[in-house]
Amino acid sequence: MEILEKMKEIQDKELKKLNIDELTHLFMDNINEQNIKLIEGIEFLVQEDFNKFKDNMNYVIDTNTEVQIKKKFESKIFKSKLMFSKADRLKLFNKINDIKNIGEFLANKMLLYKAVFPDEKFKQQILSILNSLKNISNNLSKAVKLIGSDLSKAHDICEDIKDERRKMRNDEWLLLNRLYNYDMDYLSRTFIYLKELIEGIMILADHIKNFSEYIQFLATKYLIFD
Amino acid sequence: MADELTIILVIVLVAMAIALAFSIGANDETLASLVGAGVLKFKVALILGGTAIGVGMIIFSSGFVPETVGKSLLGEGLESKYTNYMLLTVLISSIIWLVIGSFAGIPLSSTHSLIGSIVGVVIVYAIFQGGVDLNTAFNYEKLRDVVLSWFISPISGLIITYLLFKISAKVLLSRLKGLNQIEKSEKTFKWFLLIAVLFAEIWVGANSGEAVGILLGLRENNSISGGQFLIFAIFCGIFAFLGIYFAARFVIRNLASHMIDTRPSEGFIIQMSSAIILMIATLFSLPISHSHVIVFCIIGMSIAQKKEVDYKGLGKMGLYWVLTFPIAAILAGFIYFGLSLFGLK
Repeated sequence: MEILEKMKEIQDKELKKLNIDELTHLFMDNINEQNIKLIEGIEFLVQEDFNKFKDNMNYVIDTNTEVQIKKKFESKIFKSKLMFSKADRLKLFNKINDIKNIGEFLANKMLLYKAVFPDEKFKQQILSILNSLKNISNNLSKAVKLIGSDLSKAHDICEDIKDERRKMRNDEWLLLNRLYNYDMDYLSRTFIYLKELIEGIMILADHIKNFSEYIQFLATKYLIFD
Repeated sequence: MADELTIILVIVLVAMAIALAFSIGANDETLASLVGAGVLKFKVALILGGTAIGVGMIIFSSGFVPETVGKSLLGEGLESKYTNYMLLTVLISSIIWLVIGSFAGIPLSSTHSLIGSIVGVVIVYAIFQGGVDLNTAFNYEKLRDVVLSWFISPISGLIITYLLFKISAKVLLSRLKGLNQIEKSEKTFKWFLLIAVLFAEIWVGANSGEAVGILLGLRENNSISGGQFLIFAIFCGIFAFLGIYFAARFVIRNLASHMIDTRPSEGFIIQMSSAIILMIATLFSLPISHSHVIVFCIIGMSIAQKKEVDYKGLGKMGLYWVLTFPIAAILAGFIYFGLSLFGLK
């Protein structure tokens, strides 16, 4: 929340003063903040606090403070000269932007229906996956910010993200297995909703994992070892 | 009539030599790394690079590589002199082989082609026309050095690049941790790259003695005077410049567009290594292939960075390199034999 409030205060003039690196960090913070909001929103859904769930989803959908940063970044990178990493920095920025797109899509989808979760065990497993998603989202934010100063550290953090994501994949199969074995109507809205929720979370996780692999690619490309 | 023919032949040879200088400039891709790194505006880079190659060609025109091409390869039996028809054959043969290579998509060395043609022409002259003993037709010591330099120069380029990279990695490059730090360092390297490329261009011009070598051959057989030689050599330098400015720009721009994310530090090491090799070869009056040296410098860089090397492609390229010399010699031999049948010796 802090960052978003800070963002509101940041005027166009102040954005102009930021360099490409700083704009990327600000953008990453902004998107991560929204991502965490999305995850917390789903947690509210699990707790059946539908009002807070709705607030968070709408927050993710309605927030567009990142657009201002994106525009500034695009105009700066377009005009910037003598940067051999220009293409990579642009790609990096677009990958951050994709997180927002996936999150927004998931938030919209989640608002279509309000499901009540089958049992406590299912809830715990979903919360566990959400916790992992929160971890990898925060770690990704750290890794992105380290690209400018320490690619080795960024590389290591991305390794952690991949490990966590692997763990999430196992949890996903357990959850789906559980879901398919419930004694409920196969075509029920709840079933479809929960299935799509799990898949939506995993799409986001997959994107973060792919993103972390891209950061590792950058580390391999730019770091030279003697 | 015979005098008129001789004058026409000399004019044709001078024109061909100058055209050859233009094509040397037109085929030069040294500037691509500089343009790709965005150090200078495109036209400024072309002007500076063109000037460097032209200056190199003119400064080293009265000795060194041109002397090897135009005089020193010949032995006592030929009194270090070519006939004008020999020079004509050498030019025609090398041009034909290079054109065939271009159409077939095979990268060939103009240096190897030219020296091969000289060898073919001299052998035919010695055996069939001049009654010269083959043992004295060539300066075998020089010929040996030239051929040896073709093997030594690329390998030396590979070794120097490898060592330069390892040293710079140890001293500086491996200590750069983040992208910002790397970029800052690479921005400095862009200026080093500029110096290295211009340095390399001077030696490319100096070592590309084919064009001026033909003129020197004409001077040695008294077809042109010393003063005329100098003027034509300056023309060669100017046309090499024009070759870069008007013709090479397309290749340079195309190559540069693929090099925008190439690190200037790597470009600097490759260009500096090739420039050193070209400089040493020029000072020893040895005509070598710039493209061969560059290819091996790039391989040296790949080995140092533990990147994959396309050995299959390299083997294929190596085969063409080795074949160029004998094929150019056989081709030139046939052409010269054909000309001599019409009394054009």
